[in-house]
Amino acid sequence: MKNITTLKEFACTPDRFNGGHRLCPGCAHGMIVREVINATDDDVVVSTATGCLEVCTAIYPYTSWDVSWLHIGFENAAAGISGAEAMYKALSRKNKSFNPDKNVKFVAFGGDGGTYDIGFQSLSGATERGHDFLYVCLDNEGYMNTGGQRSSATPIGAHTTTSPRGRVSYGEKNRKKDLTMIMAAHGCPYVATATPGSKHWKDMAQKAAKALSTVGPTFINALSPCTTEWKFKPEDTVEISDLAVETCMFPLYEIEDGHKLTINYKPKNKLPVEEYLSKQGRFSHLFKPENRWVIEEIQKEVDRYWEYLLRREEAGV
Amino acid sequence: MATKYELKSKEIWDGNTAASHALRQAQVDVVAAYPITPSTPIVQNYASFLADGYVDGEFVMVESEHSAMSACVGAAAAGGRVATATSSQGYALMAEVLYQASGMRLPIVMTVVNRALASPLNIHGDHGDMYLGRDAGWIHLIANNPQEAYDMTLCAFKVAEDKSVRLPVTTNQDGFLVSHTAQVVEPLDDDTAYKFIGDYTPLNPMLDTSNPATYGAQTEEEWHFEFKASQHKALMESPAVIDEVFAEFEKLTGRKYNRVESYKLEDADIALVVMGSAYETAMVAVDRAREQGIKVGLVMPRSFRPFPYNEMAEKLKNIKAVAALDRSCPMGAMGALYNEVSGALSANGQAAIMTNYIYGLGGRDTTAEHILEVIKETNENAKAGKRVTDLQGFINLRGPKLSFN
Amino acid sequence: MATPKEMMTTWDSIQFGAVLPSFEDPKNKVRSKFNSFNYKVADWRVEKPVFNRNLCIDCDFCWVFCPDSCFEVEEVVNKRGKKQAKIVGINYDLCKGCGVCVEVCPTPIKSLLMFSEFVDNDDALKQWPKKEDKKD
Repeated sequence: MKNITTLKEFACTPDRFNGGHRLCPGCAHGMIVREVINATDDDVVVSTATGCLEVCTAIYPYTSWDVSWLHIGFENAAAGISGAEAMYKALSRKNKSFNPDKNVKFVAFGGDGGTYDIGFQSLSGATERGHDFLYVCLDNEGYMNTGGQRSSATPIGAHTTTSPRGRVSYGEKNRKKDLTMIMAAHGCPYVATATPGSKHWKDMAQKAAKALSTVGPTFINALSPCTTEWKFKPEDTVEISDLAVETCMFPLYEIEDGHKLTINYKPKNKLPVEEYLSKQGRFSHLFKPENRWVIEEIQKEVDRYWEYLLRREEAGV
Repeated sequence: MATKYELKSKEIWDGNTAASHALRQAQVDVVAAYPITPSTPIVQNYASFLADGYVDGEFVMVESEHSAMSACVGAAAAGGRVATATSSQGYALMAEVLYQASGMRLPIVMTVVNRALASPLNIHGDHGDMYLGRDAGWIHLIANNPQEAYDMTLCAFKVAEDKSVRLPVTTNQDGFLVSHTAQVVEPLDDDTAYKFIGDYTPLNPMLDTSNPATYGAQTEEEWHFEFKASQHKALMESPAVIDEVFAEFEKLTGRKYNRVESYKLEDADIALVVMGSAYETAMVAVDRAREQGIKVGLVMPRSFRPFPYNEMAEKLKNIKAVAALDRSCPMGAMGALYNEVSGALSANGQAAIMTNYIYGLGGRDTTAEHILEVIKETNENAKAGKRVTDLQGFINLRGPKLSFN
Repeated sequence: MATPKEMMTTWDSIQFGAVLPSFEDPKNKVRSKFNSFNYKVADWRVEKPVFNRNLCIDCDFCWVFCPDSCFEVEEVVNKRGKKQAKIVGINYDLCKGCGVCVEVCPTPIKSLLMFSEFVDNDDALKQWPKKEDKKD
């Protein structure tokens, strides 16, 4: 496992994910992907579901990847990487490895659309089969690549182009699916949440390093603030990530062996959710008097869930 | 090392058993598959080969056919030999990924046990699934019996992996009629079969991590057309390799295959075009018709894609009337064989009278008697020198005669 | 979107299966012409970050949070013999001017500031706020 202690040292890692991609300025995807694939010194093979990351990093005749990379479709990043991992095992067994002295790690990236929704079956299958891979969900809470439609990761109250605010609508009506817990319920040896917050670069890098050195299927759900569709300024990506954690809208925790839960960061003063919501255009309509109750509901739900995490951690389950 | 499987010089195998032994002998590195009737026994057999130590590759039992083909793509791009099997709805679920496999030029081999497509649901043999995949950029080879299912599967690897082809290949056999019908099959021993196929040659393997490769880039209007055209070229030029592989196979086994197969065509006035197990039924019908003085022959594309236009035209150059029999409902058009053969003939100014028959949907029996009827009708057209029968008829359909003119 | 003229090829000379090699010389890690490292997104920028080496403490926040892998680092050995990354510059071909680096820069007077694309970097450095200029 790569020992990641100081940023000064971590920053000596040669980049394996290059600029010159076409992700929006300030997009958190680039931050997350760099940290994840830099968190191991082993070689890496990556598969990516259709989505922002895919369409922006392999526009022929260019690739942004210094590691082997595969995109098949929207719903099959996990299936694709499971095939590559199976080939690695087969060739190793047959003494036909390409680089016998090297370990190869397998990583799949998908957006929330490709993970929570259309790719969920393939992720669940690959996880259940026990392939040795890390799946990272770049959760920007909607179908941002196609112009910001809702997904099952979109939180209540968010405006999207298919759950728009309107005269009689406060935006998204359904709760965000709790995918991290669902992945833990698969019995994965390691599941975690992460986000590129200013205090949390190490949390994310260490989680990636831990996941990559764990044998078996591992999963990281990384909140990836979307400057374009969440409607905030590109330079504020890291601040929004911080607020998600400080308000407990997106708590940082990990679950080992499907049950042992540890909260990795507890805000000293848990901020009210307004602090997070008010910074994003997608929630601006909630501040109208008639929609204020939605903010209250969000706060209640966030409090309830935080309490649940604290109790679970305390109980050691 | 996998244990060698002791085979007799003659085995009693059905098409599924034959195909699964061919996959085993090819020493496939990764098989990713999902069971579906009637191809299920292929994956079951393969699983038991693995359980008994006859296979040392990976066998990935995925959660759907979509993931089966996706895992095949991932595995093939990673850099080894890959195969799978499916039928019908499973093939339909794979459809999206079939295009990805061929577009990335991955030489995956897939045994398709042909079965009808719902709705209404049906588990029996017809060519609806094969026709669904005909534009997917794969080579499609046809096997009419268990021996051919075995032979075509061995040949498929060699064709697919050839450096000038590098395209995925399906080998097709009729559901139940071939897949579950036990016949005598003469297999090669394991070493000879593997030697015929040869070692896999990786091309741009993702697992050569010291030289990383990006698979599945996006090509918009500046590039997409060029890629599709170059892929089409590889398919159009694959016949040379298919012929070479068939010739080598003949040298090894004495069994001769051609991209266009024919039966008693030399002196024929009329011909039937038919593909799959019905070809053998049609042979019986041809013999009976000839006893009645009708000079009829048979023709079949062994490779449905690439379609052998020139060879087909050459075979049919002296034929006065042709009936193309399609085992799939074309839904608002003529069947694929009718279209392809008509195209092949008209391109050369040949003017055989063309008719189309739809038969055997969902496993409906098609007997020599039924085909004899078709021969007689076709002979009427030849005798009249013009079409006197309907353009499209249905064989062995219950109820009032259904035909379209 | 458009492919640069020198990268345009015809159907008979495109990459087989659209497969792109990351490196031209994999052994020496020389990136290929297909690597977006050699593409330019500079024209996305309206403002650019300017880096002031004199104020930098090499915390490397800019490196870790840069979504476009723009920060050029040099591996150096510190007084305690540990390797660490020294920020040496910004790759302006790859920088889209998002401004994240400036936001995360923690020095009392920031060592990264945004300037108009048309300001010369040397002029920008001359305009850098002094300690006494800083109010908050």
